[in-house]
Amino acid sequence: MRRFLVSLVSVLVITVLLGSVSFAQAPVQLPRKETLYIAGMQWGPPTTFNPMAPSPAWPTNRGQHYLIYETLFVYNLLTGKLDPLIGESFNWSVYTLTVKLRKGAKWQDGTPLTAKDVVYSLQLGKKYSLYFSSFWDFVTDVKAKDDLTVVITLNKDKPLKKRVEVFLGQIFIVPQHIWSKIDTGQKALLEYTNLEPVGSGPYKLLSYSPEQIVLQRDDNYWGIPYYGKPAPKYIVHPIFKSNDAGNLAFERGDVDFSQQFCPEIWKMWEVKKLPVGTWYKKEPYHIPASIPSLYINLHKKPLNNPLVRRALAYAINYPKIAETAMSRYSPPAKSSLIIPVGVPEKKYFSQEDVDKYGWKYDPAKAIEILEKQLKAKKGPDGIYVLPDGTRLGPFTAICPYGWTDWMTSLEVVAESARAVGIDVRTEYPDAPVWTDRRNTGNFDLLMNTPAGGYTPAHPWLRFFEVMESKGVPPIGQVAYWNFNRYSNKKASSLLDAAAKITDEKKLYTIYRELDRIFMKDIPIIPLEYRPWHFYEYNETYWTGFPNEDNPTASPLHTAQGIRIFYLIKPKD
Amino acid sequence: MKDILILLFRSKRFIVGFVLFLGILSFALIGPMLNPKNPFQMVGGLFSPPSDRFILGTDNLGRDVFTQLMYGTRTSLLIGCTAGVIATTIGVTIGSVAGYKGGIVEEVLMGITNVFITIPSIVILILLSIAIKARSAIVMGLVIGVTAWPWTARAVRAQTSSLKTREHIDIARITGFSSIEMIIYEILPYMFSYIFMAFILQFSGGILNEATLSMLGLGPFQTVSLGVMLHWSLLWEAVRTGAWWAFIPPVICLSITTFSLMSMNSGMDEVFNPRLRRS
Repeated sequence: MRRFLVSLVSVLVITVLLGSVSFAQAPVQLPRKETLYIAGMQWGPPTTFNPMAPSPAWPTNRGQHYLIYETLFVYNLLTGKLDPLIGESFNWSVYTLTVKLRKGAKWQDGTPLTAKDVVYSLQLGKKYSLYFSSFWDFVTDVKAKDDLTVVITLNKDKPLKKRVEVFLGQIFIVPQHIWSKIDTGQKALLEYTNLEPVGSGPYKLLSYSPEQIVLQRDDNYWGIPYYGKPAPKYIVHPIFKSNDAGNLAFERGDVDFSQQFCPEIWKMWEVKKLPVGTWYKKEPYHIPASIPSLYINLHKKPLNNPLVRRALAYAINYPKIAETAMSRYSPPAKSSLIIPVGVPEKKYFSQEDVDKYGWKYDPAKAIEILEKQLKAKKGPDGIYVLPDGTRLGPFTAICPYGWTDWMTSLEVVAESARAVGIDVRTEYPDAPVWTDRRNTGNFDLLMNTPAGGYTPAHPWLRFFEVMESKGVPPIGQVAYWNFNRYSNKKASSLLDAAAKITDEKKLYTIYRELDRIFMKDIPIIPLEYRPWHFYEYNETYWTGFPNEDNPTASPLHTAQGIRIFYLIKPKD
Repeated sequence: MKDILILLFRSKRFIVGFVLFLGILSFALIGPMLNPKNPFQMVGGLFSPPSDRFILGTDNLGRDVFTQLMYGTRTSLLIGCTAGVIATTIGVTIGSVAGYKGGIVEEVLMGITNVFITIPSIVILILLSIAIKARSAIVMGLVIGVTAWPWTARAVRAQTSSLKTREHIDIARITGFSSIEMIIYEILPYMFSYIFMAFILQFSGGILNEATLSMLGLGPFQTVSLGVMLHWSLLWEAVRTGAWWAFIPPVICLSITTFSLMSMNSGMDEVFNPRLRRS
């Protein structure tokens, strides 16, 4: 009898334990037909949904889907313009910008969203050091004229309208009635975890865990009369440990919409016949929108010699980078700070100038510069030595470890430089080390994207980040642009002029001139073109994703790309 | 010596291991002489499949996998051998001194060894690799070697403790040999076969450790090894994209190399260990 009781109790204990374990582990089962799975925007467990924090979780971080918090406008990559979101329209007079808000905008708790909330949100950047605080370098005042009108006064010393417009598409508007209680100091504001975010967007945070973040559609979204209702009832971002796990899930159809770098994606439809797509069906598959480049230390011998930089520029095998490192997602890079294809700025590109003043992959020309113009002699180890005895290398080229496409690009740079006789070596530190060395200018060669992402201010912003020396501290101190401290007064004055001009013809002339200065001085070497976001969809469960043949929305995971959620449909 | 060799070649395991190892060695050493291509030259496209031009296709950087394999095997062998020599030297030195001296010296040395054994060597390896800025193949071998010696030290100490009670040691001691002379001339020669076997195990362990570290991205810079090849193929998702030629050949090379060394070791054990020796 005793033995029986012991057995019974044991069985009961085990049953209860197992039951609780399986209960604890059971994930929330969401109806697949109503759920969209997204990958590539969140790595690591979510800790904060505070859009003011340095790196909040998806979707509250900058440059991610504006699903909980919204901006005034959204940048449309296809037209180069800002489309309405909370804002209806904006108008410039000489030094003032008037923004009209949409009627009926509301917070998710039902409180109306008014111009006061907008003014409050923008002023947070003035009060504290936040991601958009530089907005206040260009602006002196922001006022609410009435509930639906915001008036922004430009800084007359820096009347850079383009820069201000960029912020309209980047700054999240937060509810004053909630945030005014938290906003008691910089630390309090940044450390607030905001685990029950109240935004103005079409989705609410349903749940989060180290494995996934789940959003649920808000059927009372104020924007429904303007924009309609987004199709998925739930949006889930599973948090993958690595790129390959995410790509595998995408290939299997467990992820519908991905932003991950996925090598050889075309094999998914060409070889495996999967319902997978990107923006273009053929190369380069994505719209190029940024220029990852090789930053050169301009203050270190012999890299301070423009001829050495030119030889290096001729030595690099750009077609190979496009083919291998970018997995054919980029045309070979040209010697220009203007992207020649895809994006609206292509109208400023001049092939004639590139042919005349620029460079391309041509090892023979690199050797000619080294031997004839620099009078360098090849040492016994195959590396050139300048007449003053300076050996061309070893130069260390760095980028963060794990950024596979960049690591591969630098491998190509190193190999093609060594092939002509310039000793370049690669090193892959952790990302924070790379950031520190970049910002303080402590490098020989470093890979970085000038003005990454895409804004209405491109290509101006890219020229600015590469060539503007005003406001850049010397090497050793932290800079936020112009990391190799290039300085050219002519370029600075052209940049100032370009920021004020709207006339396309004049702009074209200025950009050409800036680009010619760039090609002469070579502060950085463009290596490849990268899309703003990798835009990849699997139509196993959802169809109707925009693409080149159906260009109904920007191929983005942010800005105007949020329209994609309204356009897709569950597959029958 | 001749007798030992005759004995060794009676062991089938040793012969199999020896032949395979010789094959790998000639592939890594003689191969590059017959095929003097630059393993870093980007000759093809992204993961070009095997063809007449590239027997084993190309990797993610468009480099010939076959050429990479030759040079990579050579580097891996170099790293394994360096690690083996270093680990065996440290292990034998500490083990024999501890075993012969006994007392407080033994306590201290074995204490250190035991501390090393309890810390997983992979942790020390990773930390050391991160700390070292210039990781050449030799430095990698050194790093692996200095973390792999403890179990050799323990085994050698046990052997020495047993050997030192033999009669010939007493006789040598009477003739006035110093401790070092005693260890070198009177103890180590009796353990030579054991030390050599330990070296072979450390050699193969070194190769595997190199592959582990390199796959984590902590491998040698500016060179190609079997681990580095695997590292790039994993980073570029060769498994998902079906580029088997980028990861299967280095895996096969690694397996053959370690199998040949293990097989030789096992064969030697058969010959040298009286309990396993067949008449």
